[in-house]
Amino acid sequence: MDYLILNGMHENDSFLQEINNRISEELDNQGLKGESILLHEKTIKPCLGCFKCWVQTPGICVIDDYGREVAKKMIQTDNLLYLTSIQFGGYSSELKKALDRSIGLLMPFFRVFHEEIHHETRYDKYPNMTVFGTLDQPNEQQELIFTKLVQRNSLNNFAPKFASQIIYTSDDALTIKGKIERGLSVLGDVNG
Amino acid sequence: MADQAIFLMCSPRGEESASYSLGSYVTSLLEEKGITINEYHIYKTLRNQTKIDEMIKSVNDSDIIVLSSPLYIDSAPTNTIKIMNIITRAVQEEKIGKKKRLLLAISCAGYLEYYHNNIVLQIYEQFAKTNGFTWAGGLPIGAAGTYAMNTITSFLEQLAQLPEDDPRYEIYVKPTRILDSVIKGAVEYLSQGKVVPKDELQKLEFVAMPLESYVEGGNKNWINWAEKIGTVEKLRDKPYEIKQ
Repeated sequence: MDYLILNGMHENDSFLQEINNRISEELDNQGLKGESILLHEKTIKPCLGCFKCWVQTPGICVIDDYGREVAKKMIQTDNLLYLTSIQFGGYSSELKKALDRSIGLLMPFFRVFHEEIHHETRYDKYPNMTVFGTLDQPNEQQELIFTKLVQRNSLNNFAPKFASQIIYTSDDALTIKGKIERGLSVLGDVNG
Repeated sequence: MADQAIFLMCSPRGEESASYSLGSYVTSLLEEKGITINEYHIYKTLRNQTKIDEMIKSVNDSDIIVLSSPLYIDSAPTNTIKIMNIITRAVQEEKIGKKKRLLLAISCAGYLEYYHNNIVLQIYEQFAKTNGFTWAGGLPIGAAGTYAMNTITSFLEQLAQLPEDDPRYEIYVKPTRILDSVIKGAVEYLSQGKVVPKDELQKLEFVAMPLESYVEGGNKNWINWAEKIGTVEKLRDKPYEIKQ
C-alpha cells in the first residue's frame, strides 16, 4: 500500500472530512494508492497498558478488535498520514485511541538513540509520517506544542521523513492546497 | 485556602499504576491538611453517564484538580483526552462555574528521562488555560514504573538502611527523597491556594542513572517476564511483516 490515512475527526467535523477528501484527491492525482480510515466509525478499545503486546503475544495487541487491523496497516504502508483537530496542542481522542494500540510495532527493549532512551525497532522499515492538524484560529502556543509532538512521534516511530501542517478553518482554498502539498512533499516509497 | 479537591486517576492499570501511587500520595497529604478528596478512576467513570455527571459536579465544587496520567507515545492516552474534552464541554455549558481552581498534573513515563513528559505537561497546561483553571504546575516523572511497585513511603522505608556509598542510594533513594520533598512542598502551596513555584518543580529535572544502566536493567526485566511465560523465542517476532 502506498499510503494510509488515519482520520481522527470527531463525528460531524465536516472541515476535517473536507481536508481528508482533498488529500485523497491529491494522492490519487499523484498516482498513489491507499485508503482512509474514519476512526470514529471503528470499535477500538483503549489500550490497557498491560504490555502483553510486547511479551505475551509479541507484536499483536491482546484486545481482538479493529485496533489490531489498524496497527497492521500502519506498518505495512509506505506513508502514514494522521488527520486530527488540535486538542490543547495534541491529537484528538479518536486518533489517539488507534495510536495507543500500536506500540506493539516497536520492541519492548530499550536502546540509546539520539542520546535518549527509546525502544528498539521490531520491523526493518517504518513509514514516512505526515500529520495534518486543524484549528479554528491561530494559537501560537498550541501550534508549537503540536509541531514538537509530531517531531517527537517521528523519532519514537522511526519515520524516515516527517512533516506537520496546521490548517485553519478560515484558510482559503489556495492556502489549504499549498499546505496539503507541503505536507505530502515528504511522502515516498520506503517498503520497496 | 482550599476546601475540596478532585483526583482524576487516568491510568487503565488502576491501583497498580504509578499514576495512582503518586496521585494518591498527593491527595493523601492534601487530606491531612483538611481538604476533602473526591477520587475518580476515569476508565470506570467513562463507562457510566451518572459517574460522568458526578465527576463534573465534583470538578465544579473543587478548588484543586489533581490529574495523574501515564504517558503514551509522547502524549496523553485517549481516555485522558476524552475526560479533558468532557470537562471542557461542561465549562462551555456552564455546568462548571467560574472560580479559582488549581490544576496540578502528574505525568508518568516508562523512560528514564523526565523530559519525555515535557510536551504532555504543556498539553495539560493548555487544558487548564482553555477552561480558566489556574495552572499550578506539572510533575514530570521518569522511570515511573518504580512507583507502580512501591509507594513513596514504603519505598523509602525499604531503602532506609542503605549506606550512602551503595550504588542504589544514588539511583533510588536520592531521587525518591527529592520527589517526596517536591510533592510535600507542592501540597503546602496547593492547600494555601497557590501555584507551585517553577524552581520547586525543576528539582525533578534530573536523570538518576546512566542511560545504559537503565537500558540494561529494563531489558533484563522484559526477558525475565518472557522467561516466566515461555515467550522469549517469540519476542522478536514480526507478525505483520510483508513477505516479499
